[in-house]
Amino acid sequence: MKDKISQAPAATLTGRHLLGIEGLSVPEMQGLLDRSAYFAGVITGQIEDSALSHILSGKSVVNLFFENSTRTRVSFEVAAKKLGASVYNLSVSGSSVKKGETLIDTAVTLNAMHPDILVIRHQNAGTPALLSQRVDAGIVNAGDGRHEHPTQALLDALTIMRRCGRIAGLKIAICGDIANSRVARSNLYLLGALGAELRFVSPATLLPAGIENFGVPVFTDLEAGIDGADIVMMLRLQTERMQGREIPSQHEYFNLFGLNAERLMRAAPQALIMHPGPMNRGVEIDSAIADDNEKSLISTQVEMGVAARMACLEALALATPDRGRT
Amino acid sequence: MTGTVLFTNARLVCPEQGLDATGWLSCTDGIITETGTGSAGKSVHKGKVIDCKGDILAPGLIDMRVQSGDPGAEHLETLTSLKEAAAAGGITAFAVLPSTMPVIDTAAMIDSLQLRASREGGPALYCYGAVTKDLTPDQMAELGMMAGAGAVGFASGTLSIQDSQTMRRIMTYAAMLNRPVIHHCEDISLTYEADMNEGETSTRLGLIGQPAEAETIIAQRDIALCRLTGAHLHIAHVSAAGTVAAIKQAKKEGLRISADTAPPYVFLNDISVSGYQSSCKLNPPLRSEEDRQAIVTGLTDGTIDVLASDHIPVNPDMKAQPFSLASTGASGIELLLPLAVKLVKSEIISWLEAIALTSTNPARILQLPGGSLRPGTPADLVQINPDRSWRIDGRQFKSLSRITPFEGQPAEGCVTGLWIAGRKQGEG
Repeated sequence: MKDKISQAPAATLTGRHLLGIEGLSVPEMQGLLDRSAYFAGVITGQIEDSALSHILSGKSVVNLFFENSTRTRVSFEVAAKKLGASVYNLSVSGSSVKKGETLIDTAVTLNAMHPDILVIRHQNAGTPALLSQRVDAGIVNAGDGRHEHPTQALLDALTIMRRCGRIAGLKIAICGDIANSRVARSNLYLLGALGAELRFVSPATLLPAGIENFGVPVFTDLEAGIDGADIVMMLRLQTERMQGREIPSQHEYFNLFGLNAERLMRAAPQALIMHPGPMNRGVEIDSAIADDNEKSLISTQVEMGVAARMACLEALALATPDRGRT
Repeated sequence: MTGTVLFTNARLVCPEQGLDATGWLSCTDGIITETGTGSAGKSVHKGKVIDCKGDILAPGLIDMRVQSGDPGAEHLETLTSLKEAAAAGGITAFAVLPSTMPVIDTAAMIDSLQLRASREGGPALYCYGAVTKDLTPDQMAELGMMAGAGAVGFASGTLSIQDSQTMRRIMTYAAMLNRPVIHHCEDISLTYEADMNEGETSTRLGLIGQPAEAETIIAQRDIALCRLTGAHLHIAHVSAAGTVAAIKQAKKEGLRISADTAPPYVFLNDISVSGYQSSCKLNPPLRSEEDRQAIVTGLTDGTIDVLASDHIPVNPDMKAQPFSLASTGASGIELLLPLAVKLVKSEIISWLEAIALTSTNPARILQLPGGSLRPGTPADLVQINPDRSWRIDGRQFKSLSRITPFEGQPAEGCVTGLWIAGRKQGEG
C-alpha cells in the first residue's frame, strides 16, 4: 500500500477542467485519489519530496470566490503555494462585480491576464461550467450552489482511504440536508463509483426530487439509516440555502436527525464520523462526539483537503500546458 | 385594390370546411371569392394567375401568443422586426401579450400600438389587454375601454393571478365583454426561486425544481371559476399532464374553455436542460417525458386547441448567465410553422389538424377574421412547400431575438408565399 502510494504519478484528466465528479471515469478518480494520498504522505512527513515546490512553479492560480468561504479558499491557497504556484485571491466584495460587471466579463477580464488555473466558487449551480466555455484557464469547481463540490468528495474519500485502507464495501450513510448539499452529490458519484455501499438519511422535506433514481437507499429515520454503518457522514443544515420552512425548527431537527453518542451506537462498533464543516453544533451533530478524536475524522478531513487540492491543481496544470504568453 | 388573383395547382387545406384536396382558389380585392377542386375552368381564369406547383395553400397562420419587445425593449425586438419575423414564419396575424414596458393596460396603449403597427403593413397585430393595471397582482385594468379599443382578449404575460376573488372578478367582467381570459397558470408558492422542472434532472444539476402541479393547481382553480362565472377561459402554454387531464374533463363537462401549448412542450423535456442549457430555460419550464407525451396526446385528441409560438424576445446577455440568473423565454415566431410541419411529417397530426391548431382555432377563440379558405373571408394565405428540408439556425432569423432551444435541429417545410388581404408579401 505504502509503496504504491509513494510511487503514485501525477493524475491525468481527459478534460481541461474539474467541474464535477460526475463525468469522471473511475481511473481518473482513482488517479486523483492515489496522487492525493501521495501528497498527504508528503504533508504528514511520511514521504519525502524535495521537488514539491517545482511542480507548479511559474504557474498562476486565481481563487475566484463569489460565495463566502474560509476553509476551502485557504485550503486551495495552501495547496497551490506548496506546489510553487503564484496565488491570487479575488473576493467579490473587492472586485468590479460589485460595480455591476457581469460574471462573464469578470471571467474574460481575468482570462486576459493568462492565469493557468481558476478556482471558482459560486452560489449558482453551473457557473464553473458556464465560465469554462469562455476562458482558456483550467477551471476547478470549488463548489457551485447545490450542484457539486468535487474536491470535498476527493478529500472525503482520501480521509476514508487513509483511515480504513479501502472504500469498496464500506457502508457509508450520508445524513442530513441532501436537497441543498453539493457535498452529498459529489460524494454520491465518487464514493458510489469506488464501490461504497451508500445510503441517504434525511427528513422527507429535504430529499431532492427523483432521488430514488440514483440507486441509493433512502431513509427518513436516522437510526435505521445508520444501522451498521462504517462511516456516518453528517451534512451541514444549509440554513442559508433553505427556502424557509422545510423543517419545523432546529430543535426538532436535532431531536429527530441530530447525531449523538446514543444514536451512534446503532452504527458499526468502530464507526467513524465525518462532516464537511462548518458544523452547526447542537443542530446536526452533538459537540461531544464531534470532538471525540477516536471517532471523529473531522479535523483529518481539513488536513486532507490540502492534499486532494494539490492533486487536482497538478492534474489541471498538466492538462493545460503553458498558454499563449505571446 | 388588388384585383383578381387565381391560385392554381394548389393543395388546399381548410380545416373549417374539412377541405384537403388539390384545387384552385380565386380572390378579388383581398377577399376569397371562390374555391374548387381539380383544375380551374376557363370561366375563373381572369386576373393574375399563380401556379402553386402542388404546394399547400392554407389560411395564414395566426399566432396567439407573442411577446413584443416594443415598446420598452426595442433592442430585443421592434414592431418591424417582429412583423418581418412573423411573415417569414407564414403568419398573417398575431396577438401580442400585454407585458411590455409600459404594460398594455389602457385603451390608449392599444390605440398607439395598433396605429404604429398599421403604418408598417405586413401581418396584422392584435393586442391583448392586461388583466390588471400594470400587471400588479390585484387591481383590475380598464378591460371595457380596452375591449372598445380592440383588445381581442385579456392576458397576463407570465403573471399568474394568485388571488381567487380577483381572478373571479376578471373572469366575470370579461364574460360581460365577451372576451376570453388568457391565463398563465402558476402557483407561485410552489415555484418560488425555481429554475426548472422538478425531477431527477434538477437534482442532478443542483437546480431548484418546481413541480408540474404548480401549473395544474391554478388551472383547476381557474376551471372552477370558469364554471362559476361562465367566462371563456383560455389556459396558456400548457406544459403539464395534469393540466391536460383537467382541461379534458372540463371540456367534457361543456365549460367554455380552450387551451394552447407551444412547440418546446411538444418536442422537448427537462433532460434538454442538462449542461445548464439556458436556451431551454422557459416559463413554464420544460417538463418530464410523461408530461410531454400528454401534451402530444392533448394536441391530437382536441384537448389543446392551439399551437402558439410563445415567442419571447431574449438576447445572449440575458442567457449567458448562471442558469438560475438567466432569463426565461426563447425566440419562436419563425419556428411555429416548421414545427407544426414536423408533427405532420412524424404522422402525429394531419395537415388539416396542423392548420386548425395554428390558424382556424386561434381565429375562432379570438373571434378574428381569417383562419379559413371559405369564400367571403379575407385572402390571408400561406403557400407551403412541405418537403424542402433545412436546418434551424437562429442567426438566420428575421427576429432580433435569435436564441431557440431548437438550434441546429433539422426541419422540413418552408413558406413559399404569403398573401395578406390578397397582397403578396415581400414584394414592393
